[in-house]
Amino acid sequence: MTETTPTAPPQRSAGLPAQSPPVDPAETAKADARARLSWWRGDGGEGARRNLGLLATLVVLVVIGILTRPDLYGDASWVWGNTLTILKLASVVGVVTVGMTFVIIGGGIDLSVGAIVALAGVWCTTVATQSYGAGGMIFSALTVGLAVGVVNGLLISYGRLVPFIATLAMMVAARGLAAEISDKQTQVSDNQFINGIASTNVLGIPLLVYILAAVVLAGWVLLNRTTFGRRTVAVGGNPEAARLAGINVRRHTLLLYALSGLCCGIAAVMLTAQATSAQAAMANLYELDAIAAAIIGGTLLSGGRGTIVGSLLGVIIFSTITNLFAINGLSTEAQNMVKGGIIVVAVLVQQVQFRSLTQFLARNRATTA
Amino acid sequence: MTPQQREEADVTNAPLVEAPAGTVAGEVVLRLTDVVKTFPGVRALDGVQLEVRAGEVHCLLGQNGAGKSTLIKVLAGVHRPDSGEVEWRGRPAAFANPQTAMRAGIATIYQELDLVDDLSVAENAFLGHEPRRIGFVRRGQTARRTRQILTRLGHPEIPPGRLVRHLPAAGKQIVSMARALSHEARLIIMDEPSAVLAHDEVANLFRIIRELAAQGIAVIYISHRLEEIREIGDRVTVLKDGRTTAANLPARDTPTRDLVARMTGRTIEYVFPPRPAGEVDGAELLRVDGLTRTGEFADVSLSVRAGEVVGIAGLVGSGRSELLETIYGARRAHAGTVRMDGRPLRPGSVGAAVRAGMGMAPEERKSQALLLGEPIYRNVTLSTFGRYARLGFTDAGRERDAADRIADSLELRPRDVRRPVRTLSGGNQQKVVVGRWLLGGTRLLLLDEPTRGVDVGARAELYQVIRALAARGVGVLLVSSEVPEVLGLADRVLVMWEGRVVREAPAGELDENTVLDLVMAGSLMEGAPA
Amino acid sequence: MSSDLSRRRLLFGGAALSAGVVLAGCTSNEQAPTAAQTKAAAAGANSEPGKKVTIGFSAPAADHGWIAAITNNAKAQAAAYSDVELKAVEAGADAAAQRATLSTLLSQRPDVIVLLPHDGKELNAFGLEAMKAGIPVVNLDRAFPDAKAYRLQIKGDNYGMGVAAATYMIEQFKAKGVSKPIIGEIAGMDELELTQERSKGFSDTLAQAGFKVTNRRAARFTADSGQQEATGLFQALPKIDAIWNHDDDQGIGVLAAVNQANRKEFFMIGGAGSKKAMEDIQADNTVLKATVTYSPSMASSAISLARLIGQNKGMSDLVELQVPKEIVLASETITKENAGSYLKLGF
Repeated sequence: MTETTPTAPPQRSAGLPAQSPPVDPAETAKADARARLSWWRGDGGEGARRNLGLLATLVVLVVIGILTRPDLYGDASWVWGNTLTILKLASVVGVVTVGMTFVIIGGGIDLSVGAIVALAGVWCTTVATQSYGAGGMIFSALTVGLAVGVVNGLLISYGRLVPFIATLAMMVAARGLAAEISDKQTQVSDNQFINGIASTNVLGIPLLVYILAAVVLAGWVLLNRTTFGRRTVAVGGNPEAARLAGINVRRHTLLLYALSGLCCGIAAVMLTAQATSAQAAMANLYELDAIAAAIIGGTLLSGGRGTIVGSLLGVIIFSTITNLFAINGLSTEAQNMVKGGIIVVAVLVQQVQFRSLTQFLARNRATTA
Repeated sequence: MTPQQREEADVTNAPLVEAPAGTVAGEVVLRLTDVVKTFPGVRALDGVQLEVRAGEVHCLLGQNGAGKSTLIKVLAGVHRPDSGEVEWRGRPAAFANPQTAMRAGIATIYQELDLVDDLSVAENAFLGHEPRRIGFVRRGQTARRTRQILTRLGHPEIPPGRLVRHLPAAGKQIVSMARALSHEARLIIMDEPSAVLAHDEVANLFRIIRELAAQGIAVIYISHRLEEIREIGDRVTVLKDGRTTAANLPARDTPTRDLVARMTGRTIEYVFPPRPAGEVDGAELLRVDGLTRTGEFADVSLSVRAGEVVGIAGLVGSGRSELLETIYGARRAHAGTVRMDGRPLRPGSVGAAVRAGMGMAPEERKSQALLLGEPIYRNVTLSTFGRYARLGFTDAGRERDAADRIADSLELRPRDVRRPVRTLSGGNQQKVVVGRWLLGGTRLLLLDEPTRGVDVGARAELYQVIRALAARGVGVLLVSSEVPEVLGLADRVLVMWEGRVVREAPAGELDENTVLDLVMAGSLMEGAPA
Repeated sequence: MSSDLSRRRLLFGGAALSAGVVLAGCTSNEQAPTAAQTKAAAAGANSEPGKKVTIGFSAPAADHGWIAAITNNAKAQAAAYSDVELKAVEAGADAAAQRATLSTLLSQRPDVIVLLPHDGKELNAFGLEAMKAGIPVVNLDRAFPDAKAYRLQIKGDNYGMGVAAATYMIEQFKAKGVSKPIIGEIAGMDELELTQERSKGFSDTLAQAGFKVTNRRAARFTADSGQQEATGLFQALPKIDAIWNHDDDQGIGVLAAVNQANRKEFFMIGGAGSKKAMEDIQADNTVLKATVTYSPSMASSAISLARLIGQNKGMSDLVELQVPKEIVLASETITKENAGSYLKLGF
């Protein structure tokens, strides 16, 4: 490398976006059309296809319902009422699942959600809290949920605990604290406003369903349309790349668990209203329901990919199965076996799709190379 | 318009060298012809030739990323080649999985030894093919046969019942070899076995290797320490960018310069854009003083001016990548300061570095820089999407427009920014990473091996981009193990060896041979203390 | 039949969870010693302070109101006697932990041991060991399979609960002239043997009258699960005549579901006998018309009888000079008419 460099302009100017190239209006229009076409897919045709599969599953379940209980399904008002019941049944787990979906997409897991719901529920129904009225109860439930979520987040992001371990410990500890506060008693809510949340209908639709819809919508916007959602995908998809791109991975991880905790706080109010009481053993195994719903909804357990709509459909599928078994008078054990089977099938489908996708890409590459 | 063209050095212009046969007596056990293996985006093996004879120690030489690991995995049955022929003991062979390869007599000792720490020496040696009778492991026989093999390896003192966890690194290596011998291996592949060993342990390892060779076993020995190859090897095959650049060179007599040039040298001429005339007189952007990370690098001081391209030459292990990551805040320095525009940066904070105007394209693009499943535009805007957002709501349209501009200016192919990054070639993936920082208005770009796994055409484009960036006043700090690349691209060059800067000079004052000597100094000095 | 049943070797897997404590009105979370069910030392020879008796007591850590009531009752009853010293030890989280704490207790050589085991089968060996060492063992609610392992066994009657609920139901149907009733059942945790026993007693008795359960859902002894299962039941059965809910604690959720679904066409029977359920029955303003008891008062009785055993006395109303070996509490049916007198036993 001893030769001196001749002065000459670069062979081909790599035009850098110092001055943006002139915008072609036709091109812009085309891009807009593309954007419009795909808004509902959220840039992920794959996710949309999977959601179609979930809808198909739902249809199959309804058809099974019609075939097994034609007497009930013959009554239109029963069908409408039953649909609302299924959505109501899905509402509490649904809210928890939205938070869980964020955590999983962000590369974590939250095993403590059921315990947080119980703790927040118990906390907001103590005599002392109830004396502050409905506002005080709701405030304390949300605050407790958020606070426990923040503790989870601190343990994981700054304490460097594995999410599985940190939230497992929290699951045990939060239930223990709930049992301590409630002295293992069932605490009855005497607040008519709170209890009314579960029995009020607005325009013929239960308030709980509106709450679920609001949380799902907020979750969808947050994931697909905000910088928070983008960071979530980045942090879960490739934490190292996110870190080196200047994203504060730790702080974001903390926020994800806080969000999950907040969702649990909301769910706690809903569940307390439904049961008109709270106790330390409530929301039993909600963590498994939420994780399972997120997974069959297409959320990758290793993070980086998932949809809120898929998770919602997952929850609704599970509550439809519960309903199907109830109206046919079948046992809970059989129901659990079917649920387990569905989870396995969903994950298998996920793997097969992923494998065939990578194979397809590999083949594509081989032929173009 | 006269691009500065680099002449090919003599050695690399020479055709593939075939050493005279007869230096090794044994029959050919393994022959690879034109083996190709691609992964999505990378051509890991691009025509490998290899011939190994019984009873020889055949050295495989090449830099990181040259394809050695992939080649080993092809031989071990982990990967199957896309094309080319593998001939094992005279017959075409395709090993479907590691078990088949092992049964055929090929044993591989990986760098990170794949032993089970909580099993005993004997259990590890016979893992997966324990002597057994009706389903019960015959512990006595296992122990006895392990002892025989250990004796054959010259280590009868290792108790077969001891847990592998309690053995030192050298002992674990012996167990790995015992496992290979328990399979009646005809070919043992060793991947940088000396990396974990102390000096006298290496001597012992060599003694064992010689004994194995004397028993007619073929050994493929992988290392980038030249002096080892001189000592233990019979013949050398050199890999570079997935290709065999030289085959069957005599290990003892081939001049070091030849080997190094074939290892690091160009297989094709590069086109470097010309440097602007005169001194770079931009303001000082980056100032690093006495930066130290114990065990990685020590007391490094350097500076980068606006519009200047500073190159760091050094081999893997010289501390160059670690240095870059420390400057960027991805690692925390044990001593020293990093200043940007004269202001000290908060140590260990990537966020602070990015806010101060730094950007980095890390060495491992896929694992450190990209969200492979996400669309191109989201990767381009990964560090800037907040800027296109209003009140926290992202604006995909504006992001895509911005990414489109970047894609145009970098001539990204395919051009559709909605495609997942996974589908791009290595060069185009690198453009996405560089584009990310272009978009961010980065004033100092840290590039770690920017052209690794990038094909020739795309390399030239990347060089153009880097030079054009500098022309716009961006400072560039570039790390590369390819000496010509550093010399051709940089204005000023720092040579790193063993964690220290051993030379700093304007690129014009250095020539390739000087730098090569400095880069390899460690190897040369270890081989012949002088 | 009842004596037949009392000899049944019922295995009470986890009676601990059979009920929950409700502080009706929930005026405080302080452990205001919940109207502990003690029997005031009435006049009579047995109540006279006698020989000092040390009673070792062990029950699982309370994870549910019923167990909490058991422990509270035992402590309160012991405090009522001047000649009883109670040594309560934490039983820990499982049978193994309980065994460990019990062996410490054994080394202190109390006069009698009152024990609610995590699992009767698993702690059978301890019973044998203590008996062999000459310390009488009073088994509370979860039977030891081996008769030599205990001096006295006092327990509730799960099968009898089902029988009582069905009997009340059948009476009501007869009075109302319902010939083909639609019957719903909301059971407790299905994996527990006691739930199976309760359901068996219920369906056996219904079958004798020619009736059967139309739809049975299993909840988890918690209010939220009770609410969920009841909601499912209402979807399955657009019209219902009667429901038996195994547990008054989960009944809070069942009643919430009743309100939410706005259903009033049926009557409901509860289980266990919580204070809140008794108050609801007395007030007669919900669908809950009766409940069948499984009372934690057995812990109070166990302490009283342990004292007698320690003092080598019999039960004064019986002819026998010793305390009997086995006592099975009858499940009683509480209705509007008698709720007032049971209210003090509600937990």
